[in-house]
Amino acid sequence: MTTAQARFPRSTPPAQPTDADKQLLLFTQGVELAARDLYKKAVDSGKFSDDEVAMLKMFGEHHNSYAQAMNGLIGKVATNKRNDSLYSTHVGQLASAQSAYASLQSLENTLATTNTDILGQLLGLDAARILASIITTEARMAAVFGTLPALSLTSALNSSANSLAPKIAQAPMASTETTVAP
Amino acid sequence: MNNISRRDALRVGGLSVFGAAFLAACGEQAGVVPSANILSEGAVTPTTALPEGVITDVVLLRTAASLEYNAIDTYNAVLEGGLLTGDYAKLTDAVKRFRDDHQAHADAVNRLVVASGGKAHTCANARIDTLYIQPAIALITAKDNPDLSKDIVALAHALENLATQTYQGVVASLTAPSLRADAIRIAQDEARHAVVLAQVLNGGYASVGPTTNAATGKPNIASVPAAYGSLGTVMLQAGAPSAEGVKTALTLETPSLNGLIYDFVDCQ
Repeated sequence: MTTAQARFPRSTPPAQPTDADKQLLLFTQGVELAARDLYKKAVDSGKFSDDEVAMLKMFGEHHNSYAQAMNGLIGKVATNKRNDSLYSTHVGQLASAQSAYASLQSLENTLATTNTDILGQLLGLDAARILASIITTEARMAAVFGTLPALSLTSALNSSANSLAPKIAQAPMASTETTVAP
Repeated sequence: MNNISRRDALRVGGLSVFGAAFLAACGEQAGVVPSANILSEGAVTPTTALPEGVITDVVLLRTAASLEYNAIDTYNAVLEGGLLTGDYAKLTDAVKRFRDDHQAHADAVNRLVVASGGKAHTCANARIDTLYIQPAIALITAKDNPDLSKDIVALAHALENLATQTYQGVVASLTAPSLRADAIRIAQDEARHAVVLAQVLNGGYASVGPTTNAATGKPNIASVPAAYGSLGTVMLQAGAPSAEGVKTALTLETPSLNGLIYDFVDCQ
């Protein structure tokens, strides 16, 4: 097979986010900001070694970066407000290092599952592409908490997290096909 | 007024005569039967045009399924060949789990293929096998390689990253949003496999993020190498080290147009 003979089919999804996409991505922004704040809370607790703090800071910065990426996709729709419900669910579990890791792993699993659910509703390809690259990293971060301080294969590989994503219906797409009157 | 010397006139005249004779020799001549084979020796073998490959959701999913079989075959080779020795032998259960996960992924992807009107693909991607896996295994299993088990883990890590990137990459090409979610669900599993293997190869909190090898200047294996999942090349260093202590570097890439499993591609 040569490249000249391969081609994509004619119908392709839109690149830009639709209005419904933007509402979904706004939800993503909220949960990512909640994650950013939870990592900051963990870092500020003073319960972790320097290496652990460096890792937790990095994870928190990743989530902040994801929230900013949503800004670029949704523009004026962005509110830059964290999801308080998700924040409240986890903030009380950051009191000890052990419970903090379990909670942060649960948080990462929830984010990966939620964003996967959102990806399954998006029409726009630009957002889908970015969200896909975020989801794989969130899965990695969740797995890290299953390997450190000691490997638990089950903990690293399994996730039973539930999605928090809302269901938002897409408006019918206008047809771009040309019909010829008989 | 043109200034043409006698010498110029002779040169032009000579060329004209030569050209006319040459053209006459190439053209049809009286009394000579034209032959279709006059310019070739023997009959030309008829050519068959390659079928046109249309990249559809089914093709992308079949390609993903083929990579799952690459992983299954590799893990089976590791287990059957007893390639995990010493401390690495304790990874045997993890390798079995990874292999079983890949089989489950292959089955799930092929169900999507069939549901989308395609034909299930139940064998490894030959191009990936030929280009990357077999050369890597040859390097790793060479008698002079002192790091056989470690390099096997490095190969597995590279393949898991390759699978992650393949699924992540097809998200932008799949037309059905539900299929994109299905693809990224499997990508997450592959990414988690990669993290477990990364921690075996370069463990600890300080190695989770990106770091650089001070001696070689190359990036170390990391559990979370970047904020966003990469779609770039996957590096693998394996085999017997050189006199300078440097292993052979292999570069793996996700299937391109020549490596896709089009509708007309079958398992041999």
